[in-house]
Amino acid sequence: MKNRILAVLSVAVLTVTTLVGCGSSASIDSAEVPATGPDESTTGKQTDGKNLPELTTEEMTITLWDIATEEPGRPTQEAAVARFMKDYPNIHVEQVHQQNDNYKQQLVVAMSSGQCPDMYVSWGGGPMAEYYKSGFADDITDLYNKYDHPDFIDAAIAQGSYKDKILGIPFGSLSGCDIFYNKTIFKDLGLEVPETIDELEDVCAKLKENGITPFALANSAKWTGSMYYMYLVARHSGNDEFDAAYTQEGSFGSEAFLFASDKIQDWVKKGYFPDGVNSLSPDDGQDKQLLYDGSCAMMLHGSWMAGSMSSDNAEWYQENIGVFRFPEDSEAKAKGVPQDVEIGTAIGNCFNFNSKGDQAKLEAMYVLATQYYNDDTYNQMQMDSFQTPSIKGFENQVTDPNMKIITDVFFQASNVQLWYDQYLPASVTEVHKNSMSALFGLEKNGAEIGADQDAAMKAAIEEQ
Amino acid sequence: MKNESNTSLANVKRKKTAVAAGVFLLPAFLLIAIYFIYPIIDTFVISAYKWNGISSARTFVGLENWKTLIHDKNFWDAFEHNIIIMVFSIMLQIPIGMLLATFLDAGGKKFNAFKIIWFLPYLMSSVAIAFLFTYALATNGGIFSSLASIIKGTKVTIDLLGRSPHALFAVIGVMAWQYTPFYMVYFMAGYGNIDTTIYEAAIIDGATRGQYVRLIAIPLLGPIFKTACTMSLIGSLKYFDLIWNLTQGGPVNSTELMATYMYKLSFQQFNMGYGSCVAAGMFILITVIALLFQKVFVVKEDY
Repeated sequence: MKNRILAVLSVAVLTVTTLVGCGSSASIDSAEVPATGPDESTTGKQTDGKNLPELTTEEMTITLWDIATEEPGRPTQEAAVARFMKDYPNIHVEQVHQQNDNYKQQLVVAMSSGQCPDMYVSWGGGPMAEYYKSGFADDITDLYNKYDHPDFIDAAIAQGSYKDKILGIPFGSLSGCDIFYNKTIFKDLGLEVPETIDELEDVCAKLKENGITPFALANSAKWTGSMYYMYLVARHSGNDEFDAAYTQEGSFGSEAFLFASDKIQDWVKKGYFPDGVNSLSPDDGQDKQLLYDGSCAMMLHGSWMAGSMSSDNAEWYQENIGVFRFPEDSEAKAKGVPQDVEIGTAIGNCFNFNSKGDQAKLEAMYVLATQYYNDDTYNQMQMDSFQTPSIKGFENQVTDPNMKIITDVFFQASNVQLWYDQYLPASVTEVHKNSMSALFGLEKNGAEIGADQDAAMKAAIEEQ
Repeated sequence: MKNESNTSLANVKRKKTAVAAGVFLLPAFLLIAIYFIYPIIDTFVISAYKWNGISSARTFVGLENWKTLIHDKNFWDAFEHNIIIMVFSIMLQIPIGMLLATFLDAGGKKFNAFKIIWFLPYLMSSVAIAFLFTYALATNGGIFSSLASIIKGTKVTIDLLGRSPHALFAVIGVMAWQYTPFYMVYFMAGYGNIDTTIYEAAIIDGATRGQYVRLIAIPLLGPIFKTACTMSLIGSLKYFDLIWNLTQGGPVNSTELMATYMYKLSFQQFNMGYGSCVAAGMFILITVIALLFQKVFVVKEDY
């Protein structure tokens, strides 16, 4: 097993390095080779024979903003752009890697000062809607229906859409959210993987008896604690109560939300989360550290953690880490509430386009996003780094056993609930995140944070 | 006739001087106008609009944002945090800086090593300091938690950044660590400016080192104190970078400052109009407080 992984890794490294080599030479090519005539340029492209718009033969520059500052994202995405520029030497793509932390703010500043890039990465949800309403995101429904594109899973396209208009082409990977656990600790203490929330609580109690904190959580980022809240709400009411709260026909203080808040605060009081949970930072990896040193046994986290933990120490990860889906709420199940709602994102990232009415440019960007990002080479590189593209069929190609479970859970989900902090309007997100601090810090109860979130949601609806 | 030509000559000269002065001042004035005056005015203008910061459509709402601001609990809470930070900054940074400077001044060249070591924190960027202290104050493996665990013999968690009243004071401590060296150097320069003859005269008159510092040096450093306090005051009121990188205003707004609140509104919540209103409010509050301070604590410079 270990050897196979080593082999896969070394192949991945080789591919990456070769492609990076290609990348730099290709961009030099595009600068030196004069624009070729239409006859020559239609031969030998990887898009040949596909139903795609005929791209311009005139010189064109596309500015592209992404957040791929680190490996493996950066070489993967640079290679996609390089392949595109090799096939279309007259089109120059200026790829700018922005730091993730400040990216959204940078983008806002760029938009307000008339410097909005031609295509840029977004996460869908509330902010993308904001870009669209302000005229910085093109509606590409017509292009998408008319021309070829990868067979994206429905949830991915849904997430890149706003009011039934397709705005974004996915190019990231699906990210589920499941419970990673330490198999060795479970085995030593004779614990079974819990199927229901009651069983999960039994497991927690036993762990606690043995001096192990059940959940590794670093809540200074607040969206990490929100994962527990979102799942408890989803298990208790499916999507119904959240959807109702979103339109304010219901409320963030309704039964499922109170159920979730009470459970979490009960768990906090019982010591199921680490001390100082609100000051631990996931950006510094303080949650997985607690899993590594054995002081915690479980961690509800995004599926990207599989790759992250594996790259920290592949051997330890293979030996000790397993994964299971968030347990079911048996009472709610008896009432017929679906227990297979998945929290996460079907796309990770998508590209939005800002062509300012330049149809030729929009078509070029469409071809770049659908045919060079998302092509076989690109997807393979994604798979090599534990990422499953949001394209039908890839669920069968996953090799890592944990990623296999995560992907299966994801594909079997009846519905994917996008992270609240991406889905909600920006002003409500802030309130929601603060509510999560207050909840885990026992500073406010479920009814109080419900009222706070309702007030913010009402204000946001009024503004629309 | 003679008179007339005289005045006209003077006029010509005056005019020429004015033109020359204008030409020399123009570049500086342009820079200040573009980078200071225009943004301040524009902030006030934007504060009268409802605007998400990106779309070309702004809606004029007049004083609506200002009405919200006056009743905005978050803003006044943030202002209160600023005031707390201001008071503690002045109380901690300036006296400690003064003490260190006195110590170094008395020691002379022997203490050069201390001078360098103590000055180091000020040379680090706020972002680096924030990063450093996220680890130092962490509950698992942080300095305080580890020390307490060693002393008590069992695992102790000291959560400084994750709980409500503690976080603000932890931040004040980090700020003091960062800025005390600045005031130390400032006071050292002050000591350096005191004429050595004064020291010699005092010693000849039989004063001890303690008496010299207490009765002669400190009164002479008066104006320096005043400037240091004003700088600390303004700095505390517009503080942003360390807080942003250390706590982002959390947990639950307990370390939210006016500046972090403004940033969140403007760039995270797509509410540039109201964010500008907060910025303008900050401008007014800081100006008023600084001017009041100057008025109340005028130190006579009569030596």
